[in-house]
Amino acid sequence: MADFKVDMRGMGSVSVLDIRGYLDAHTTPELENAFNKLIDDRNYKVVVNLSDLNYISSAGLGVFMAYIETMRENDGDIKFSNLKKDVYNIFDLLGFPMLYEFYDNEKDAVEKFGESK
Amino acid sequence: MTLIINRILHASTKRKLENAVLFSILIFIYKIFFPATDNLFVLLLGEIFILITLYLWAVYVVEFIRNKTSAILSVIVTSGIFTAIVIFIVKTAYMLFSYPYSFTTKVESNFFESLFNAFLMLVLIVAIAYIFQTIKTLFFLRQKRNPSFYFNLMVLFFIFTALAGSVEYINNDIQFLVDILEGISISLILMNSFRVAWIAFLTKKQKISLLGLSIIMIVLFAVGTSVSFLYNFPLPALTMILRLVMIYGIIYYSVIFFTTLFHIPTAAAIDRKTEELSSFMDLNSLINQVFDINELSDTVTKMTRNVCNCEAAWLATSFNEEDTIQSVNSIGYLQAENITSNLRQKDLLSHDINTFNLKTLSNEEQQGFESVVVAPLKMHGKINGYLFAARENDMFFDDEDKKSISAFADYAALALENAKLIQESIEKERLEKELDVAREIQRKILPKSIPKVNYLDIASLFIPAFEVGGDYYDFFELDNENIGFIIADVSGKSIQAAFIMAEVKGIFKSLSGVTNTPKELFIKANEILKESLDRKSFVTATYGILNIKTGKFSFCRAGHSPIMHYTNNQIIKYIPQGIGLGIEKSDRFASIIKEMEIQLNYNDILILFTDGINESQNKSLEEYGYNRLEKVIKENKEGDMNTLAKKIIESVSLFSKDSSQHDDITLVLFKWKFNNKSIGDN
Repeated sequence: MADFKVDMRGMGSVSVLDIRGYLDAHTTPELENAFNKLIDDRNYKVVVNLSDLNYISSAGLGVFMAYIETMRENDGDIKFSNLKKDVYNIFDLLGFPMLYEFYDNEKDAVEKFGESK
Repeated sequence: MTLIINRILHASTKRKLENAVLFSILIFIYKIFFPATDNLFVLLLGEIFILITLYLWAVYVVEFIRNKTSAILSVIVTSGIFTAIVIFIVKTAYMLFSYPYSFTTKVESNFFESLFNAFLMLVLIVAIAYIFQTIKTLFFLRQKRNPSFYFNLMVLFFIFTALAGSVEYINNDIQFLVDILEGISISLILMNSFRVAWIAFLTKKQKISLLGLSIIMIVLFAVGTSVSFLYNFPLPALTMILRLVMIYGIIYYSVIFFTTLFHIPTAAAIDRKTEELSSFMDLNSLINQVFDINELSDTVTKMTRNVCNCEAAWLATSFNEEDTIQSVNSIGYLQAENITSNLRQKDLLSHDINTFNLKTLSNEEQQGFESVVVAPLKMHGKINGYLFAARENDMFFDDEDKKSISAFADYAALALENAKLIQESIEKERLEKELDVAREIQRKILPKSIPKVNYLDIASLFIPAFEVGGDYYDFFELDNENIGFIIADVSGKSIQAAFIMAEVKGIFKSLSGVTNTPKELFIKANEILKESLDRKSFVTATYGILNIKTGKFSFCRAGHSPIMHYTNNQIIKYIPQGIGLGIEKSDRFASIIKEMEIQLNYNDILILFTDGINESQNKSLEEYGYNRLEKVIKENKEGDMNTLAKKIIESVSLFSKDSSQHDDITLVLFKWKFNNKSIGDN
């Protein structure tokens, strides 16, 4: 089984999730736990740094979909940053970039939260 | 004669009783006819008969006692009763007849006396047989070896002494011989009195009973001995045997008394060990029989409480430092939870067994308990929970307690692991069944046949993944000029994906009849799906309408893989703008999705597929990608579409031969065979 890991960091009022490895139906529960924890702590502004994400399945995409909705309902958002080209293509085919925000680097994504405030 | 001996030696229990009764009757009659005599021969013959009868009774009685060795104390009580009867009956005989017998005076008895004497003799025989066999049984209890040489020697000397006593009855001169034989017999009795290992196996309660019982027995035997000395019946051999057995009784029961006395201080510890052992045996069989975690936990806490002699025990399972109380014994659920969470908060739950004095806690936290021991349930180095035992007094749990609680905790850990594995396999079976249902749904949803259309070569190929992946494709014959087709991939897997697939099929089938363009169809489909799908699910799809008269092809892509078009020796990938169905809940879907229209030329090929193809992986986790697919298409463009489909699948499976297929693979191919020019030529 390929590796998967989620790490949480705080960047001021924004939380950053580093998601690494393979995100598929078997590893999504771990990501869901991380999001649930953020919601419990009322941290709705999230940047997911996907620089080390190697693969994402439809189940993984579904998790982002569901939680972006929750975050936006609470005046927050999930912004994506540092995607590898292959992974970006998967998001792109599905039309995610037209609905959600994608950034080349984490800093831009985090700063974007500041602007909208 | 040999017949008789055989009958005696190889008798069944019933036969043994028959033999004993038969000889008893014979000797009874004999003794009535020859009550007392001066004739040595008559006397000795009678004595030998008596000894044989005694032997026969002993042989019968031993079977009787052997069946009751589990209730050994009751056997002892019975032999005490026999002793009391002997004393009583001999005393009565003395009072009735005031025997004037001595070794020197022989009396011609009257008939009534003879009858009573014969009866007395029978009672003595049975009683002696029982008393002696009781001692013998005790002596060999828990011994693995056969009756020893010294024991048999002792019995032999008993017989010698008895016979010598008989001779002495008539001829007083050999008294010295009787004394010598009696002395030897008593020495042998002493040698045969020190086997009392069985006492150790009694419970404390039984030992205390035995202590009292042995005092009573010693007194009874002492009286019995005095009786055998005081009165000289016309039954010299039996009197002699009685005396020796009584002496044996005194000595052996004295040994029992002192041994028991010394065993009593350790009795509780031995009781506990025995309890522990039987608990482990019970647990062992439970582990293999019971898969219900709660039932197992209940048994473990109950046994812990019994063995450790404490007021309460409980068991908690732990996951990520969160403790769940599984079972409580003699303590309230909330109390147990309180103490557990207290210890957890103070970080006192560790990898090793620990004892704590709860006095450091506040009264409220203490919950009435003072001393507690905690043992971790470890499996493969991971802690799955804790076993607790608590006392209301401040008596600390000693090493012995800790050892057994540790052992129980180990068993509990093993049992829990076992139960967990079983549950997992049940769960696995359930998933298997679900998958079967999902596959069945998928099989029924996919089209049974492909439409036959002039100038159009259509091929489709579907390979399901082990966990049904949610791929779906279909064809709709819209009217004489147009056929519609869909290729879709539902997010998620298994039964959940299968249900969405079924829904999607219904939606597309009905919408294809009432909408005119792919765009219109998708907008309506999205309206329906964004309501019905749960937040995490979505569907990607490509829907196209092909005019089979003109070769005009219009299509929309809702987040699906690119549409490939082979034309003019090149492959074009169309990715018109669009998002997956069910993702966006607002109206933006309609403004985002774009429709494309292309014109097919003679021998053009349309290639539609799901990501199961391009995301197929090889062992080093490389993806099959689009380039390999394009290469196969170019190499096989000339042939029919079925052949091309097979070639593509061959290529994909060759690429990913060392790894398993994660997702469904679907491929739909169209080749436009209508030569516009040739029509024009016509």
